[in-house]
Amino acid sequence: QDIPVTGKVTEQNGSPLPGVTVKLDGTTRAASTDANGVFSIQAPVGGKLTISLIGMAAQTVTVPADGRINVSLTADSKDLTEVVVVGYGTQKKALVTGSISSVKAKDLESMPINRVEQALQGRTSGLTIASGNGQPGSASTVRVRGFTSFASSGNNDPLWVVDGVIVDNGGIGYLNQSDIESIEVLKDAASQAIYGARAANGVIIISTKKGKEGRLSINYNGFYGTQAPAKKLKLLNASEYAMIRNEAYSNSFNAATDGTFTLPYSNPSSYGEGTDWQSVVFNDDARRQTHEFSVSGGTNKSTFYTSFGYLDQEGIVATPISNFNRANIRINSTFKPAKWISFGENLGYSHSVNSSLGNTNSEFGGPLSSAIHLDPITPVIQTDPTAIGKSPYTIANIIKDPATGFPYGISGPVGQEMSNPLAYIQTRLGNYGWDHNIVGNAFLEIEPIENLKFRSSLGTKLAFYGSESYTPLFWLSPSNTNTKANFYREMNMTINYNWENTISYSKSYGKHHAYAILGQGYYMDNNNRGLNVRFNNIIAQDFYQSNLNYKPATADIQGDGSDATLHVVNSLFTRVTYDYDEKYLFTGIIRRDGSSRFGTNNRFGYFPSASIGWVPTKEGFWKENNIVNFLKLRGSYGITGNDAIGDFSYVSLVNSGRNYTFGTTDASIIGWSPAALSNPDLKWEETRQTDIGLDATLFNDFTLSASYFKKKTIGVLQTPSIPLYLGAAGGAAENVGDMQNTGIEFEIGYRKKIGELNLGINANLSTLKNKVTKLLPGREFIEDNAQSFQGMGNFTRTGIGRSFNEFYGYEVAGIFQTQAEVNAYRGPGGTVLQPTAKPGDIKFANLDGNESINGSDRTYLGSPLPKYTYGITINLAYKNFDFVAFGNGVGGNMIFQGLRRLDVTYGNWQNSVLDRWTPTNPSTTVPRVADKDLNGNYTKFSKNYLEKGDYFRLKTLQVGYNFPANVTKKIGAQKVRVYLMSENLWTITKYTGYDPEIGGTVLGVDRGIYPQARSFMVGLNVGF
Amino acid sequence: CQKQLDVNPRERILETSYYQNQQEAFTGLVAVYDQLGNQSSGYLTKLNLFSSASDDHFAGADSPSDLGDMQVMNNYTVNSLSGGPSYLWSKGFTGVYRANILLKKIEGITMDASTKARYIAEAKALRAIFYFDLVRIFKNIPLILAPVEPSGMFDVTQVAPADVYKQIETDLTESLSALPVTIPTADAGRLSQGAVHAVLGKVYLWEEKWGPAAAAFALVNGTAPGASTYGYKLLPKFADLWNWKNKFNSESILELSYNTTSNMGWSNVGSREGNVMGILVGPRNYVPVIAAQAPDYVSGWSVMPITKELFDLIHYDPRNKPTVANLDSLEKAGIVTYKHANDNTGYFVEKYAGRVSTKAAVGQLELNFGQNMYEIRLADTYLMEAEALLKSGAAVGSGTRAYIFLNAVRARVGLNPVAVTMDNIMKERRLEMVAEGQRWFDLVRWGLAPTKLAFKGFQANKNETLPIPQAELNNTKILQSKEWGGTK
Repeated sequence: QDIPVTGKVTEQNGSPLPGVTVKLDGTTRAASTDANGVFSIQAPVGGKLTISLIGMAAQTVTVPADGRINVSLTADSKDLTEVVVVGYGTQKKALVTGSISSVKAKDLESMPINRVEQALQGRTSGLTIASGNGQPGSASTVRVRGFTSFASSGNNDPLWVVDGVIVDNGGIGYLNQSDIESIEVLKDAASQAIYGARAANGVIIISTKKGKEGRLSINYNGFYGTQAPAKKLKLLNASEYAMIRNEAYSNSFNAATDGTFTLPYSNPSSYGEGTDWQSVVFNDDARRQTHEFSVSGGTNKSTFYTSFGYLDQEGIVATPISNFNRANIRINSTFKPAKWISFGENLGYSHSVNSSLGNTNSEFGGPLSSAIHLDPITPVIQTDPTAIGKSPYTIANIIKDPATGFPYGISGPVGQEMSNPLAYIQTRLGNYGWDHNIVGNAFLEIEPIENLKFRSSLGTKLAFYGSESYTPLFWLSPSNTNTKANFYREMNMTINYNWENTISYSKSYGKHHAYAILGQGYYMDNNNRGLNVRFNNIIAQDFYQSNLNYKPATADIQGDGSDATLHVVNSLFTRVTYDYDEKYLFTGIIRRDGSSRFGTNNRFGYFPSASIGWVPTKEGFWKENNIVNFLKLRGSYGITGNDAIGDFSYVSLVNSGRNYTFGTTDASIIGWSPAALSNPDLKWEETRQTDIGLDATLFNDFTLSASYFKKKTIGVLQTPSIPLYLGAAGGAAENVGDMQNTGIEFEIGYRKKIGELNLGINANLSTLKNKVTKLLPGREFIEDNAQSFQGMGNFTRTGIGRSFNEFYGYEVAGIFQTQAEVNAYRGPGGTVLQPTAKPGDIKFANLDGNESINGSDRTYLGSPLPKYTYGITINLAYKNFDFVAFGNGVGGNMIFQGLRRLDVTYGNWQNSVLDRWTPTNPSTTVPRVADKDLNGNYTKFSKNYLEKGDYFRLKTLQVGYNFPANVTKKIGAQKVRVYLMSENLWTITKYTGYDPEIGGTVLGVDRGIYPQARSFMVGLNVGF
Repeated sequence: CQKQLDVNPRERILETSYYQNQQEAFTGLVAVYDQLGNQSSGYLTKLNLFSSASDDHFAGADSPSDLGDMQVMNNYTVNSLSGGPSYLWSKGFTGVYRANILLKKIEGITMDASTKARYIAEAKALRAIFYFDLVRIFKNIPLILAPVEPSGMFDVTQVAPADVYKQIETDLTESLSALPVTIPTADAGRLSQGAVHAVLGKVYLWEEKWGPAAAAFALVNGTAPGASTYGYKLLPKFADLWNWKNKFNSESILELSYNTTSNMGWSNVGSREGNVMGILVGPRNYVPVIAAQAPDYVSGWSVMPITKELFDLIHYDPRNKPTVANLDSLEKAGIVTYKHANDNTGYFVEKYAGRVSTKAAVGQLELNFGQNMYEIRLADTYLMEAEALLKSGAAVGSGTRAYIFLNAVRARVGLNPVAVTMDNIMKERRLEMVAEGQRWFDLVRWGLAPTKLAFKGFQANKNETLPIPQAELNNTKILQSKEWGGTK
């Protein structure tokens, strides 16, 4: 006899659990909980109800006579029912034979994440992620299992797939983090191969939230906080600076060429502390806020999820010209008018506006670089009447402080393009960049007979972006001037789309389960076009007045435009999975891709993969025990490709712009010549990967996932530089070499309830060894995409047996203590090796043993690539309180500390210079100071520039309090949580620069990176 | 689906479908000329690098490490990783390649035969000009006379310098007949027979082939000053040579041309047609105090300040004022102020210092000066002929060609005749052509560099050439010169 049974399902901490399935055993009758965690079902007294939710341990309860049931579910450490998203579908985690790491919405809740890359950093194994810089809104460098390619232009970036739409790497910033339901990182070839030609760098699949059947769910989460730089460099104060300047001058003085000896500063101690330029550019109270609001719900015919998000973040460096805000709207819905048909859309729109410093990791031109170099003697604002009456303050168009009318201080010693940061800010006020992104897809799914599904999905990325800037008349330094006020506007648009059709069928026969999918895809991207215009001599006085209705003379209007070359990929793919009793597992994939980037000889590539798994704990001989609860062994092999070599690299194109002037017309005549050599045999870059791993549940509370991989890329695509004597502007793109990545990855989870304390720990560790195994015949190394620093030339090199772009330079053999030592340092033939050296200069090792110190004495000095990366998250919940600590780190890498410019002789120093060599301070590694660096102490790249890059950072620390249900009910809310949070609270590192986390093509090259901020925030989370 | 993958290259032209007609051949020729006036993205030119290395100038600039590639030329710490050698090597071989590709492709083009012959002659002569600089700067270079096939690109080897000189002479001689005698104004800047004879003479002079050198210059200079077959005449006023409007004047033989309209900006320095020397040599932080008396210099970067030694030599010469911007005296008179930057002497280059009145109207104004630069001008060939005659043992007394042409240069600025001696010729060349990029090469040619440049660190049997750029040794068969620690 059925009675109405009602009840409520909650989490340990009392929050309601929506979407929980309540099923009456032995029947198909089921119900699910609504947003309040409440369900109702008809069931007989004494019947068994199974209450289950993915990620939670299922419970079976007996229906009591009164029909009232309240259940509290606990998290299931075994996670065996969990589903992961794979390419073109989902798979039960227990059956996955590839190497896939997941991050779920729950792990990201209330985290201070502005971009999706940050959601992955430290949370999964197999990824090397470094923030590009601390400019709000900027992207991070993401590498999945190392490097597969040499070139810089995106070739090593993973493929991002959002709800099935392929989004280019730079464009992923449009996503709102609270819209993310899950992120899956496909790390091994068996998982990636379904994305074929573009999968070799790894695939990251993002699924956004969908509405659930049940009551309306309304959620708000927001936080507000303040940010400050975590660290300042230790720079010399004014009197120290004057003292060192005097010493550098004296050490370089040469009576033959330098006239009379006059110290630059006659009385160094009179200058006192001087100006602290860092505090001029840094903001110790930069604000940030994020607000996210979502409404979702649905019926058995349709569901919807819609959200609005807004974030606004000020930068900590030169805040008036460094800030970012973004608004997001998302509408995801599905409709299922009949059992056999469903359709819907996932649509995200974002609009962002940002002011950016531009040079965020560059020694040139940025306010941060100026703050590091400007002499501390120059005042921020020049109020001295004598000084104001003289050059340079009498030069036209110098920038004045709007508040006081006095000019901003102009440094005498430090010139180049460097300038007073406050003056620089005045020249860029108001300038901004903007974008509108619409990324989404519409799909139709038909199931004409059971288990046979046809799905068609049309996805698009529609982007509009541009910038507006006004440049006033200014004179910041002799090489940083503008003599025509101008207004510039740029507008671009991109319309990329892809269309995919799949047909799938699944069948179970006894204990045999089989699934097959066959698909076809057409992808078109890089469909960009742009226009820009500049009005010179515009009459506007500042940015806010500027517009294009102020028409200058026709000659003052400059316009330009651009068209990109389309990139088209055409694909066929299939996947077959089979398992017997969830014990023996098999997946096979093959994809065929054609790419417009290759010549007709090698246009199509085939990318197969296979993987197998075995679950011994399901075998009859495996006795149930409390040590190994579940064990799965898996292995895979597969081939993936990469076509990111740029368009038309297989042919030689001619370029214009080789212009010259004939006659007296004062005009250019256009010249053309070939841009590069051709290579019609250019073919696919292939990555072959073997992956062996296991997934296990141990001692009931531990989960362990471990993988070993070996990934070999054959025929790395690159446009290698060619000898200059060939005279061609560039070489042909070639398949220049082979490269290998190997590593081991661990992910460990632990969950335990101790009394009222819930404890959860997740940790991961990955190792990575990257090695170039082969280059074109005759080549021992290449220096393409090598890093260089002003007059120093290249200081990284990619060589056989070495990792991608290792540091390459001179070994230091010590510091010369006496002139006798200099004279005694000779080659085998007796030549003095460093004739211009003086005591206190660096003694460079004569590695090639010949008669001079030259380029062939250089050697490999270390790698910028971390040998290991790790992350750890600790979750604690006690009664109404919760606590999260999350940290990540890297180790085994070197950083190039390039914070002082070579060409700014009189720039300020970091205070390490106080330990320079002097006759009275002989035991040091810091060479003497000298205006003229004839010995190349600094202009030669030596080991002195490198520092260890190991760090561990406490990325997030959060403490929350959930108001008890009796309080929240009063305002009609299901959940009210307040929290305090800190980001980047604490970093352990020996690195002396601002921030050891440095992204880029070659990691670990610090040219004065915009550091990440330390922030403190307070947040509120309300659910109705 | 093959067809869907054939995407439109959007105006990107394939090499295989280019070079089809006369007009396309012409654009290929322009690309060769483009390398003549090439400047690096780091503001380097042949002129400023070797001027920095000479005893007429210091590198100057803001500080001892500002524009470091010029500083290392100045203080002789240049090495194979420095930017200067790499730029000069690349500039020359890029010119050679563009000439070679045109010479190869033009064979298949159907076009007017005499025009074709002229283009071929120009390409060959330009190739010779590039090789002449390469061989005297680097000595040990490969001799590439056709585009190198990719399969053999690492197999190129160096040849004896004599072979390079031989090819230069061949290319120049062969090109003569197809070149016009004179060039109409609209085409000015393109090579004429006169220009090629002048280059040939200079090549012979470097080879110390005194007789052929004198003969080649005689063709250029004519039977008497002002009587050149090619119409060359000294300008009556020395100062007029430096008026930027006087492009391709009667004294100009081989001129590097620039313009004010190519819209060069900070981000594309060197890839457009503005002359960067205007801003480089101007005094730093220049401010007129008494506007009526102050020259209208553009505040520049204080590159190539003139040494005190040269200033003392030219101070009372009539060419002083058009040659030297004497900021020292202007400042002392309270008329202007400027920054005493690195190696400041107070004397700057007047000949092409940027002026407010000559600034461009578009682009980054200070980067788009339109002043042309002389590679060879008539006063130069007059003096070179006098030198060749003297060295060849010809009579040089009063009334001889050597005497007449040497003193024609002096007479133009109102100086009395002097005897034809090496000392007089050397002094005349130095004062006449300050900041024109000749001095360092002259000192090396005369064997005087080790003594005259010792104060800067010049080492004999080493610094007469530059090291071959390190990148060229990587993975190739190119060997470093012995002088620079190599084996070649």
